[in-house]
Amino acid sequence: MAQHIVTSFDEDLKELNSAIGAMGGYAEELFGNAITALLHSDPDMAQEVISKDRIVDAMQRDIEERAVLLIARRQPVAQDLRETMAAIRISGDLERVADLGKNIARRTIAMESTAFRQTLMVGVEHLAQLGLQQMKQVLDAYALRDTAAAAEVWKNDSEIDAVYTSLFRELLTYMMEDPRNISRCIHLLFCAKNIERIGDHATNIAETVHYMVTGQQIEEERASSTRV
Amino acid sequence: MNAPMVGQGQKQKVAVRDLKFFYGDTLALKSISLPLYDRKVTAFIGPSGCGKSTLLRVLNRMYDLYPKQRAEGEVLLDGENILAPGQDLNLLRAKVGMVFQKPTPFPMSIYDNIAFGIRLYEKVSRSELDGRVEAALTRAALWGEVKDKLNSSGLSLSGGQQQRLCIARTIAVEPEVMLLDEPASALDPISTSRIEELIDELKSDYTIAIVTHNMQQAARVSQYTAFMYLGELVEFDETSRIFTMPSDKRTQDYITGRFG
Amino acid sequence: MAISMSRYNARRRRNRFAVALCFAATGFGLIWLVLILATLLWNGLPGLTPALFTESTPPPGSEGGLLNAIAGSLILTVLGTVIGAPIGILAGTYMAEYGRFSRLSQVVRFVNDILLSAPSIVIGLFIYEILVAPLGHFSGWAGAVSLAVLVIPVVVRTTEDMLSMVPGQMREAAAALGLPRSIIVRSITYRAAKAGIVTGVLLAVARISGETAPLLFTALNNQFWSTNLNEPMASLPAVIFQFALSPYADWQQLAWTGALIITFAVLVLNIGARILVRSRNPQ
Repeated sequence: MAQHIVTSFDEDLKELNSAIGAMGGYAEELFGNAITALLHSDPDMAQEVISKDRIVDAMQRDIEERAVLLIARRQPVAQDLRETMAAIRISGDLERVADLGKNIARRTIAMESTAFRQTLMVGVEHLAQLGLQQMKQVLDAYALRDTAAAAEVWKNDSEIDAVYTSLFRELLTYMMEDPRNISRCIHLLFCAKNIERIGDHATNIAETVHYMVTGQQIEEERASSTRV
Repeated sequence: MNAPMVGQGQKQKVAVRDLKFFYGDTLALKSISLPLYDRKVTAFIGPSGCGKSTLLRVLNRMYDLYPKQRAEGEVLLDGENILAPGQDLNLLRAKVGMVFQKPTPFPMSIYDNIAFGIRLYEKVSRSELDGRVEAALTRAALWGEVKDKLNSSGLSLSGGQQQRLCIARTIAVEPEVMLLDEPASALDPISTSRIEELIDELKSDYTIAIVTHNMQQAARVSQYTAFMYLGELVEFDETSRIFTMPSDKRTQDYITGRFG
Repeated sequence: MAISMSRYNARRRRNRFAVALCFAATGFGLIWLVLILATLLWNGLPGLTPALFTESTPPPGSEGGLLNAIAGSLILTVLGTVIGAPIGILAGTYMAEYGRFSRLSQVVRFVNDILLSAPSIVIGLFIYEILVAPLGHFSGWAGAVSLAVLVIPVVVRTTEDMLSMVPGQMREAAAALGLPRSIIVRSITYRAAKAGIVTGVLLAVARISGETAPLLFTALNNQFWSTNLNEPMASLPAVIFQFALSPYADWQQLAWTGALIITFAVLVLNIGARILVRSRNPQ
C-alpha cells in the first residue's frame, strides 16, 4: 500500500499495528504460561499469569484510545477505517484471551497438585496445543495481512471443537466412575472450556483480519460443529 | 467499470453516455458514462483538474458561454439529449439549476434576488410572488433570518447566508435537477453543516449532483459517489461502498489520502 | 543569532535612502500642483464677480463676464457626452459581454487605445475636414462632435474594464437560472458595474471640459451670447486661450478667472468620481 501524503497518519496506523502485535504476543505468552502452569501444577507461575493480566487490560485501553484518537483526528475511510476498526475488535478479543488464561491460572491454583489420569492430561495438552497454534497463526495472519492463513484458522476451529467434545465425554466418564474426582474434573472441564473459548476468539480475529483486508465477511457457512 | 450494475431498478433522471469533452484540442473528459438517479444525491470527487466540475458544467451546458469548448456523446435528461443542436439553453438551465462555489448574490435586494428568476418565466401577481419568495427562502432555511430585511441588499448577508440565498434563488424557479459546484468550500463549518442539512432536505424533491473536495462531505450527503481521475470515471458506486471498500485501488488511494 | 548586524544595518541604510528619494519625488510633483492652484487662486479670485456669470465677453477696455463662454462650454460638454457616452458604453459592452473572445474586440481594443492617446488637436483637425470645411463655417455641432470623439475611447475603456471586473461567476450564476444574455447584461452586470461606468463618464466629462485644441478647429469661438449650434460657439478654454494671449489687462484677468472656474469644475468632477468608486467598494 502506498504511503499517505500525511506521513504522521502512516505513523499512527503503524503504531496501532505494532501495538496490536505486541498485545497479541503478550496475550499468547500469557495463555501459554497458563497452560504450562496447569500441566505442571505450578501455582507460582499461575499466580504470575493472574497478575500480568492487568498489563493486557492496560494494553487494550491504550489501543482503544489510539484508535478513537485516530478516528477523531484523521477520519479514516476504506482500508484505513477497516484497519482501525479491526484494531479495536482484535484488542477486545485479545483482552478476553488473556482473561481466559487468567481463569485457567485461577483454577490451577484451586486444583493444587493433583495427579490426573495421564490420558486426560494428554487430551487437555492437545487441546491447548491446538489453541496456541490457532492464536499464533491468526496473529501471523494479522501481521502479514494474509487472508488465506486467516481462512485456515477459521476452518480449523472445528477441530478444536471436536477435541473439546471428546475431552468433555472423557471427563464425564471419569466423573461417573468415581464421584470423588468430580470437583477436580469440573475444574479441568472449565479449563478445557476456556481453551475452547480462546479458540473462538482466534476465529473472531480471523474473521476480523479477513474483513480488514477484503472489506467482506467470510461468507461460507462453517461445517456445523457440536457445541456444549 | 461497474456503473451499469449500480442502483439497478432506480429511475435515471440523467443518463450520461459516452461523454467526451474538449477544451480546444485538449480532451478533458474521456468517455464518461454514468447515471444520476432521481431524487438522489450523487457526489463527484477527485483531485483538482480531474474533470468533475467540467462534467457538472456539461449537465446544464454552462460551457456554451465560452468558445472552443465542446462536448460529444449523449446526456439524456428524462430521455432527451440535451447536447442536441436544437436544445434551448435557457429552458434547459431553468430545469437544471446550479449553485457555485463562491456565493454570488445579484446586486439587488434579497427579495429581488429570488423574485428575479420567477418573474422572467411566469406571470405572477404580487401576492403570489410574495408567497413564492417566502416559500423558496423557507425551503433554503433562510426565511427566519431575513424576513425582516427583505429589502436590504443581498450582499449585506454573511457568506453562509448568501450561499443559502443562492440556493433559494435556484429553488425559486423550480428546477428538476440541482448542480452544486463545491457549494460549501468557502464557508465556515457551521454554515457548511446548514448547507449539508439543506441538501439532505432537498433530495426529496430534486435530483442533486454535488462536486466537492471534502470527502467527508461527499460521504455525509450523497447516496452515490463518482470518483474521477485525469478525465476518467474511475469508479461509480453507492457511497456506502466507496467509503468502506472501494473496488479500484486509485479510489482507495485517493479517499484515504495517499495521493491527490 | 544568525543575523549579521552589519548586513542588516547596511540594508536599513539603503532602505532609508530609498524612502527619502520617494518622498523627495512626491514632494517635487506636489509642489507644482500646489503652485498651479495657488497661482490660479491668486490671479483668478479678484475677477470672481457676479458680472462674470451674467455678462458676455466684452470688447477690450469695457466691463464684461464669461456668461457666453460658460454656457457654450456647458452645451458643448453635455452634447459631446450625450453623443459619445452611449456609443462608448455600447461598444464597451460589446467587447466585455458579447465579443470577449472575438478577433473584432481585439482590433477595436487596439484602435481604441490609439484613439485614447491621439493628440486632441488631430481630432479637431479631422472634424474640421469632415464637418467644418464642407459646410463652409465653424459650428457648435462640430465642436460637440469633436468632443464626443474624445469621450468615446475613455468611456469604451472604462466600460469594458468595469464590466470585465464583474466576476464571471455572477454571469454564470445568472445564466444558470436560465436568464437570456440581454437580461443578464441589463439587470445584472450593468447593475454591478454601474458606479464604475458612471465614473468613466465623469472622467470623460472632466477631460473634455478642459479641451481647447479641437474646439479651435470646430466651434471656434464667439464673442457674443449664442446657443445656435450651427454658428460658432464660445467656450471657456477657447476664451482663455484668446484672452490670455491678448495684450489687454481686463481680458487677461477674465482668462485667469475662467481658468480658475474650469480647474475647480474638473476638480469637483474628479472628486465626485472618486467618491462614487469608493461608495461601490466600501472596504
